[in-house]
Amino acid sequence: MKRRDFLKHTAIGAAGIGILGLPFSAEAAREGIRLTILHTNDQHSRIDPFPDDGRKYGGMGGMARRASLIKSIRQQEPNVLLLDSGDIWQGTPYFNFFEGELEYKLMTQMGYDAATLGNHDFDIGLEGLQKQLPLAGFPFLTANYDFSNTILKGRFQPYKVFEKQGIRVGIFGLGIELDGLVSKNMYGETLYLDPVEEARKMVQALREKEKCHYVICLSHLGYSYDTEKIDDRKLATQVSGIDLILGGHTHTFMEKPEVLRHENGHETMINQVGWSGLFLGRIDVTFSRKSKRRTDTRTAVLAVDNPVLTS
Amino acid sequence: MKCPYFKYLPGLAFLLSLAACQRPMHPATSLADTRLAVDHTQAVDPAVEALVAPYREEVTVKMSEVVGSAPVALGKGDYESPLGNFVVDLQLAQSEPIYGKPIDLSITTEGGLRVPLPAGNITTGHIFELMPFENEMVVLTLSGEAVQQLFNDAAARKITYIGNATYTVNKGKAQDIKIKGQPLDLHKTYTLLTSDYLAGGGDKLDMLKNPIKYEKLGLLLRDAIHQHIQQLTAAGKQVTAPAEKRVTILP
Repeated sequence: MKRRDFLKHTAIGAAGIGILGLPFSAEAAREGIRLTILHTNDQHSRIDPFPDDGRKYGGMGGMARRASLIKSIRQQEPNVLLLDSGDIWQGTPYFNFFEGELEYKLMTQMGYDAATLGNHDFDIGLEGLQKQLPLAGFPFLTANYDFSNTILKGRFQPYKVFEKQGIRVGIFGLGIELDGLVSKNMYGETLYLDPVEEARKMVQALREKEKCHYVICLSHLGYSYDTEKIDDRKLATQVSGIDLILGGHTHTFMEKPEVLRHENGHETMINQVGWSGLFLGRIDVTFSRKSKRRTDTRTAVLAVDNPVLTS
Repeated sequence: MKCPYFKYLPGLAFLLSLAACQRPMHPATSLADTRLAVDHTQAVDPAVEALVAPYREEVTVKMSEVVGSAPVALGKGDYESPLGNFVVDLQLAQSEPIYGKPIDLSITTEGGLRVPLPAGNITTGHIFELMPFENEMVVLTLSGEAVQQLFNDAAARKITYIGNATYTVNKGKAQDIKIKGQPLDLHKTYTLLTSDYLAGGGDKLDMLKNPIKYEKLGLLLRDAIHQHIQQLTAAGKQVTAPAEKRVTILP
């Protein structure tokens, strides 16, 4: 067995031991600084749970429950980032009647740190988006839509850096090609730029200029297509230096994240949690206190079989 | 990660205790299900619930708003149906004023209309159930050939409802096709009204996929249905299926 393989397998062993009951948080506290990443995608205006009528995932979801889950994790973890990968809007009468106002208010109340724009977030046009944006107490990050010739010029940033106990986390957003997906009269003069090229610029800016220790991409490109169309898996192999891609658009229920290795050895993890807020994704990344280097990534199962007690 | 090593777990645990003494060369990554189920075991956050409550109440009120009424239920069926004929006709009535000129044909499919309209009061909620999707009306310009294929497919698969036309089904084939009373002319082009979903290949209507022209109307099918029933009610009319027969099926 090669040394690298040996280390890889011991990592699996470590996960096994975690399951066997070693207290993970105590271990992590000794080890370093832990960043807890919580994420959603394709919420599609699903404010209330799915009707419990025998359909798949019936009775699941609901923003008020998600809020209490997030709150309980925040009580346990010092460094939480709450992120969304787009298509917040469209799918229930809440959106048809109130045009996205409630979705933004609730996400603000839950303390979302950042989101990116999905194709359905253009469904009430640029004017609609402009009207509701002031209700969103979190930034929309987008690196490959150019709004310079639209009324939304200057309203979005390509990336944002969050600092948690000295760990600098750079987050940028990527959107899907709008042509063919959204009516032209909705997105107007918004330009779609090549996601691969913009992602490379983002990685460079975040790693070199911003000195980030960890780089996250909020992507609404979609997980995987058989065609040439760019997707999260292609992005991971074509752009080196992204640590985590939190995806959306394809409503993919990933049972566990996928890790793709770039030819230079850099590993990119991809995750996506279906849609409608049925699940909340959780990824814990540990960094060395001294070197600020990532030492561990855990995507351990935290069952929510028992009622979460909130004070 | 596939791992045949689980059966060696005790051994691995021992190896790990050795490895723990060493500085890891490579950041460890463990892959497991990341998903936290948001289900009934989660308590409801009262602050969020309080914010949602007035909106929910308004949604409930709006969804139970009575828009119109039907003396008998409008259901679905093969080739044509009360609900199908009602919808393809109202598509034309609501879209032609936006398009600014008459449209030759109007279609929808059996699967696109999710549920029948009930007898009695029809609420906004019923219309959302009938058309839960955000499908937008589009006008396609098609060759006579493509229109012929559309009718052949309708005769063979029985799922397409067609407005402004009549035809005869003989052994699964379309015959005697008339559009606005005129026989189908393969050398002409025709305009066809449908949803962007069906135009984009939904329900496998492949003949719609490469039209000569594709024009979006900015009107949602659901809104067209809603407006139409509102207008009927305002005019003192009920929701009824068009009376005339459109498809003749030869034994």
